[in-house]
Amino acid sequence: MKTYAILTLAILAQATGNVFLSKGMKQIASASPVGNSDLLALFPRAIESPTLWCGTALLIISFLLFATVLSWADLSFVLPTISVEVILTVALADHFLNEPVSPVRWMGTLLISIGVILVARSGKQTGEAGCEKEKIPKGPGR
Amino acid sequence: MKTAVMIAMIVLADSAGDVLITKGMKEVGEISTIKPKELLAIARRVLSNRNFLSGIFFMAVTFFSFLTVLSWADLSLVFPSTALVYVVSALGARFILKETVTFQRWLGIGLVCLGVVLTSLP
Repeated sequence: MKTYAILTLAILAQATGNVFLSKGMKQIASASPVGNSDLLALFPRAIESPTLWCGTALLIISFLLFATVLSWADLSFVLPTISVEVILTVALADHFLNEPVSPVRWMGTLLISIGVILVARSGKQTGEAGCEKEKIPKGPGR
Repeated sequence: MKTAVMIAMIVLADSAGDVLITKGMKEVGEISTIKPKELLAIARRVLSNRNFLSGIFFMAVTFFSFLTVLSWADLSLVFPSTALVYVVSALGARFILKETVTFQRWLGIGLVCLGVVLTSLP
């Protein structure tokens, strides 16, 4: 129960954080006279953007929550939650970022989510042993 | 093209960060307290763990690459594409660590690849 509650919070924080970051970076790029051609010129502006700070804070919260859960839960259990994150992020982008998501892109998003679940659950079949690869999670904090 | 390069960088740095952070957190052990004093001690142990710190470095690379690419690309393209990290880790497991990758996992990897292709179509 504790695990589910924390994971839900982590997913919400990650998805909304992504939206804030995307919004913030595009605001900065469009406000800059050089657009996004000179990345280094964008960074001083990035530091002053409250939108980016909110996004970053949300991603840090999400990261801490995931790291906490990973200290007791199996990765093959935690990993599939990432697929919810992907769908939620795309839905929020569609809704709040003025990025109309085409049916083809939705299809791609769903395939990715199913793929992630299959990859995550395949660890259970091979048992606990020999799963060095299981130690490769999809971390938060992107 | 520029977007593809950035996504590749995000995926590679993310895989590296994930492995190192997982390793570090497992070394630190389960966090099962909310007492501030004990939490502080745990935080100190986490922050002095070398794997964890290297993981954080890669996470920072991931984060700044992510920010950069978001200054021009769609979030609904970039974020789903970061799931390619599974493809990278499975290929690494199969060809570097010589592990067996189950059929179900190959299937999942195939779906992720197909999904990223569909996502990136105009």
